[in-house]
Amino acid sequence: MDPGLLVSRRTRKVSGAIVVGLLIAGGLLMIAPFLWMILTSLKTRAEVFGAAPFALPTGPHFENYERMWNGLPDVTFGTFFINSLKLATLNTAGQLVTSSMAAFAFAVIKFRGRAPLFALLLATLIIPYQVVLVPNFILYRSLPHPFSASGNWIGTQEPLWVGAWLGGAFGTFLLRQFFLAIPSELADAARVDGANPWAIFRHIYLPLSRPALATLAIFTFMWSWNDLIDPLIYLRDLRLFTTTAGLSLFQGQFVGKWPEMMAGALVSLAPMIILFVVAQRYFVRGIALSGLKG
Amino acid sequence: MIRVGGRLPTIRRPTGPLAGEERWAWLFLAPTLLGLAILSAGPIIAAFGISLTDWDLFTAPKFVGLDNFGQLLADRKFGIALRNTTFYTLTSVPLGLVLALGIAIALNRSIRGIAWIRTAYFLPVVTSTTAIALVWFWIYSPQEGLLNQVLGLFGIQGQRWISDPFWAMPSIVIMSVWQGLGTSVIIFLAGLQAIPQEYHDAAAVDGAGRWARFRHVTLPLLTPSIFFTGILSLIGSFQVFDQVYILARPGRPTEATITLIYYIYEKGFQNFKMGDAAAASWVLFVIVAVLTVVYFRLQRRWVHYQ
Repeated sequence: MDPGLLVSRRTRKVSGAIVVGLLIAGGLLMIAPFLWMILTSLKTRAEVFGAAPFALPTGPHFENYERMWNGLPDVTFGTFFINSLKLATLNTAGQLVTSSMAAFAFAVIKFRGRAPLFALLLATLIIPYQVVLVPNFILYRSLPHPFSASGNWIGTQEPLWVGAWLGGAFGTFLLRQFFLAIPSELADAARVDGANPWAIFRHIYLPLSRPALATLAIFTFMWSWNDLIDPLIYLRDLRLFTTTAGLSLFQGQFVGKWPEMMAGALVSLAPMIILFVVAQRYFVRGIALSGLKG
Repeated sequence: MIRVGGRLPTIRRPTGPLAGEERWAWLFLAPTLLGLAILSAGPIIAAFGISLTDWDLFTAPKFVGLDNFGQLLADRKFGIALRNTTFYTLTSVPLGLVLALGIAIALNRSIRGIAWIRTAYFLPVVTSTTAIALVWFWIYSPQEGLLNQVLGLFGIQGQRWISDPFWAMPSIVIMSVWQGLGTSVIIFLAGLQAIPQEYHDAAAVDGAGRWARFRHVTLPLLTPSIFFTGILSLIGSFQVFDQVYILARPGRPTEATITLIYYIYEKGFQNFKMGDAAAASWVLFVIVAVLTVVYFRLQRRWVHYQ
């Protein structure tokens, strides 16, 4: 064998090992904050200040979690958790229903104004959502609400989920791409059998689109769960707070009490981390799909 | 906008099998159209109207013309918010892109355990900035924080990070790049995996070395992914709020870290100056719109589509 080829193969092997080593080191750097959070949440305060950074705690000090859970007046962290869960579920359901309907119209039905309307929807994808914070606040403030102290929607959870039932650019775009890949012969055949568009949508397009719907569901759930600015703007009563809004009070409530703070952070992150581990391929597909075809 | 009836159901236009079902389209689109009108596209126009008023929500709005925009330009704090946001964009976007590109190329190999390593890079993406900022608040803590402890091991003097005017913004950039990296890595990986192996083989046969193959095969074919990641990061960099809000708690952000969105939040929802907040929103809108148009215009110069 040519000796030059042998050398180059060996150097390739060595450089490959260096790259993998760097990758692992970088990966550890990426998860270090999570490890640090978990370790701190299990330590006593004395251990946090005394021992080496990644020293193991003297035992799992779950009492930090208990103090964190009951740390704020009148409510437990469980209340925040349930509120976040409720809002994320409502948002996800709303986006699945209304985005898929719009995507079906754009992908399958021919109508006048389809192209400009779709372009308008896509344009809203580029505009930072925060541009409309002020007008949306004023709109919700003008809507009457029977059970609210203010008499309008401010101070209620309604502004945090009702909008999700009015379509969304990301979901419509994602699902339209998916619907376009479904052979139109299926819809044609159903039409011949007398199916109306609703039946075609409900019995052909939706069942064939489960992976795309799962992707949209996971993203919507994540955005809702992680949202901070809207709960800060609209919520007043602690009993209606989400985990993010609740966490934003922690630095004032637990000054210097790092184990409690980290326990709170961990509990609020747990659902997303579990969801990610279970459904990683949908996350990756969602990002890659919108990325490749954008 | 919902069109019902009007046309005889027996008339079928020859444009396609579902052409007669136009009215169904408007039914399917009804929620989306309402959302566009009252929650997304419509409010952009409304925001401009509000920006022409003085409005504290408790008394009637007063028309003041373009005064609010003049006041913005004169407001030192707005200038600082604009400067901080620009700093954030100019550092976090290129840093994130270059790091993500390197990581994606390194991750694009099939060895045992690679899925686990990938997961480590993706994980921060799904986590809430609020909770993660709380963790970084602790990492950046001046005395016992992880960062200063680790620096101490190497004999490097620690910093006050977030409470230091010089280091505050870089601290936020580092945290944000760490958190956002996974998104770009995923897009780049998808782009890399779409490049046919034959291209690399053909270049290798022609005698191209690894660098030449990267420079003349991989990079050009990856430009659509780079373009897309760039626009995502660019727009995202103008939306920084959560980490600024949390890292400054329990107080308020100092001048070192206020961003455009924080400025809007404070004006609108802490001081209840709706006119000022709407004017700042419109400045944000115009900046992002202009940058996006310029970015798309420049696309032709460097993005290669297959």
